[in-house]
Amino acid sequence: MAHLALDLPPSSLAAASAARRRFSPALLAALPLLVFLLCFFVGPIAGLLKEGFVRDGALSLANYRHLVDTPIYRIVLGNTFTIAFFVTLSCIVMSYPLAYLMATVSQNVSRLLFFAVLLPFWASALVRTSAWIALLGKNGPLNTLLTSIGVLDQPMAFLYNFTGVMIGMTHVLMPFVVLPLYASFRAMDNTLVQAAQSLGAGSVGIFNNVVLPLTSPGVVAGGIIVFMNAVGYYITPSLMGGPAQRMVAELISYNISEELNWGLAAALAGVLLVTVLASLWTFNRLFGLDQLISGSSGKGASAAPARRTPGGRVSVVLGVACAIFLLLPVIVVVPMSFGTSDFPIFPPPQYGLRWYASFFDDGKWMGALFSSLRVGVLVTVLATLLGTLAALGVHKMQSARRTWLDALFIIPMSVPAIITAVSLFYLMAPLGLVANSVAVVIGHTVLASPYVYITVRAALRSFDPALELAALSLGASWTEMFRLVMFPALLPSLVGGAVFAFVTSFDDVVMALFLTSIRNRTLPKLMYEGLAHDFDPTVISASCVLIGATVLILLTNMLLEKRKGAL
Amino acid sequence: MKSRLQKLGCVVALAAAVAGGVQAAELNFASWGGAYQGAIRDAWLKPFAKETGIKITEDTDPQVAKIKAMIDTKSVAWDVVTENSARLTRGIKLGVFEKITADMVDQKHVIPGARNEYGVPSEIFSTLIGFSTKAFPAGKAQPSTFADFWDVAKFPGKRTLQDDPATVIESALIADGVAPGDVYKVLATPAGIDRAMKQIEKIKPHVAMWWKNGAEPVNALGSGEVVMALGWNGRFQAGIDSGLPIQMGWGNTVAQVGYFVLVKGAPHREEALKLMNYMIQPKNQAEFSKYIAYGPTTEAAFPLIDEARKHRLPSTPERMKSALFLDSEFWEKNGPAIVERYNQIRAR
Repeated sequence: MAHLALDLPPSSLAAASAARRRFSPALLAALPLLVFLLCFFVGPIAGLLKEGFVRDGALSLANYRHLVDTPIYRIVLGNTFTIAFFVTLSCIVMSYPLAYLMATVSQNVSRLLFFAVLLPFWASALVRTSAWIALLGKNGPLNTLLTSIGVLDQPMAFLYNFTGVMIGMTHVLMPFVVLPLYASFRAMDNTLVQAAQSLGAGSVGIFNNVVLPLTSPGVVAGGIIVFMNAVGYYITPSLMGGPAQRMVAELISYNISEELNWGLAAALAGVLLVTVLASLWTFNRLFGLDQLISGSSGKGASAAPARRTPGGRVSVVLGVACAIFLLLPVIVVVPMSFGTSDFPIFPPPQYGLRWYASFFDDGKWMGALFSSLRVGVLVTVLATLLGTLAALGVHKMQSARRTWLDALFIIPMSVPAIITAVSLFYLMAPLGLVANSVAVVIGHTVLASPYVYITVRAALRSFDPALELAALSLGASWTEMFRLVMFPALLPSLVGGAVFAFVTSFDDVVMALFLTSIRNRTLPKLMYEGLAHDFDPTVISASCVLIGATVLILLTNMLLEKRKGAL
Repeated sequence: MKSRLQKLGCVVALAAAVAGGVQAAELNFASWGGAYQGAIRDAWLKPFAKETGIKITEDTDPQVAKIKAMIDTKSVAWDVVTENSARLTRGIKLGVFEKITADMVDQKHVIPGARNEYGVPSEIFSTLIGFSTKAFPAGKAQPSTFADFWDVAKFPGKRTLQDDPATVIESALIADGVAPGDVYKVLATPAGIDRAMKQIEKIKPHVAMWWKNGAEPVNALGSGEVVMALGWNGRFQAGIDSGLPIQMGWGNTVAQVGYFVLVKGAPHREEALKLMNYMIQPKNQAEFSKYIAYGPTTEAAFPLIDEARKHRLPSTPERMKSALFLDSEFWEKNGPAIVERYNQIRAR
């Protein structure tokens, strides 16, 4: 009897529940970002890649064959991956002591260190590069210091070679490892270290058997982000490296803007994309993409550690050194901005307000600043909205679709910005959208939404589902529950993602070069023009104004937090 | 009825006149920034704007590819841009510049070697040796020819060369003993290109950096990063004028012509032509050399330049005798392949 009652036609039951799943609110939430990326990311790039298979109007593999036949392309591809690999390694190695330091000191010192890590983030990569150039020259302060104390017999070449690129890129990309690693350290249970110590482990043993396994999620997440970013870089290497450090992205840009060889550029872009996607796929197989999204696991730190191991003490010293490394260009840039000479020297021979005057008086700088701010705000709102909705949607989804969507929503972060920029230019310009900032807002949103998505997804994963169920069971509607329970819990991550989105938009150079015109150019574009064709020291003063504004905002934020805590 | 129509006609005509007059005359100009664009601004753009009331907005980086993209997508944002002969040739091939006829711009006075159907030549500039007077002071041997640049025994120290092979390849062959007049004949053969590349290999270990913008060689000489550079004479002169311990060697030069070109589909075509007509007048050509050490493109300008300034210019008759004019047709044809080999040699 029982089985007769259950003898419903299975297909219609399955169909009904499948229909429910297809149009579930989760999918609807993820739809806006999905459609946005399909229209403004996947589509244009597919259009670009198609050019790689065209030569003189006909379908052919000639472009790819040229890449294989001409040695320079193999060499450059090899160099690109070598550099990216070593940069990732050096970022990881340097981030360990710093993250350890940040996670094991008192609240106030930790906040100060956070400041040290985030502040360089805000100083444009272009300006940090010029600070390094001023520091690392043959007759610059570093060489002068090392030769006068006898470490070196004669000045060493720190610039325009592998060393220069390593220093420059590590400096720019280190925060991407420090932050997830810090989160991992915080999540680590310190009693485990004490237990290992009591069992007789030395510092190396503790590191290998306790610290390394427990912090590996953070390292792996940070490492893959650094690698994918480094592979697509070209501005820092072109300013601080030599011909042996030429990267693929520079060749793509060169072939598009100078040689007008779209076919070859598209072929190069294709190779780069395949490698990036292959790395992502390998990462997914080995660790799972969700490692990228939530970098930490573990119970969390208990009370402050009692005493440091000898290894810990060494790490503290190294950590301080790393913090100094991060802060050095920012510190150097401030006095440099008060110099009056026509090119970057440190220390400046003469002081004055010449370049600050140039920044504030010349209309084009203030115009560019407002343009950047306007674009940044729009991008932040759009990216936060799209990214958060998508994260909520994917969080609630079944696993098969989830992995694909995760991958799609993360990929814009790893595709070199120049590819996205050029693809978008050809789409947007005929519609007249370049002159009124729509194109650059869209371009930046493509770039920025992965950051919001990742941050909110990570927060959702660590959000206790029991709270949600409890609220719903007490009679709250889903929106009420979201407003009163989920949203406050997500807010810090949301703000973090929004800040990332703003910084990404504000600091972007490559997209601005293609997607803005004279009337609405952004500050980074103007700065790049000031560095690429000639050295306009106003760039340094402009950056110091930005650093000053950031310091003010961060300080205000800290003071407000303190006051809230005191209440 | 007639009077009403007449009145209407008058009103319409008046409105049109007012509308036409009210629309402020504008011009979008793009060049390469730095001292070069500064000199253009001071010598030509500012006086022109004052004289005609046309408002000029400046931009930089007028890459031919960007111009093509603008034309293809019907979003031309520039009217007049400056290009050197290499870029001009490329732009002509791609059809992004408008032909300039005699009734558009009067180019009667222009030096024949600098003429071009698609551009109005604005200046002649040269690539030559700049060296540090700290490393090679007066009284001792000072480098002058390209052979001196390649002579690391007689003139030791680090050098800087351009990351772009145009002018470097020519200099390499001249340093190897090829007469300037035969350089392009030699380069037409694969053996000639090999010879030039061998020269690059020879000098590579002594090159501290490969510069990408015109200010870098000057800064590198000033800061002591290098003792010799192959760079643009105008930039070197600006460095000398600002007190840097630099001097130039005039034994060999590779000369190039800079042009003002009219972008196809320029939104302010009339104003653009006005600017070009203004710039080519001999007295204004003479003005330019006051702000940057580039030679005029019209012989009629030389009488208007005083002797002291003439010595700083690359297009004086004696200097033109030993100069090699860059062949932009050659580079248009062979550029990509040479760039690939040039990069390959230096990438190891």
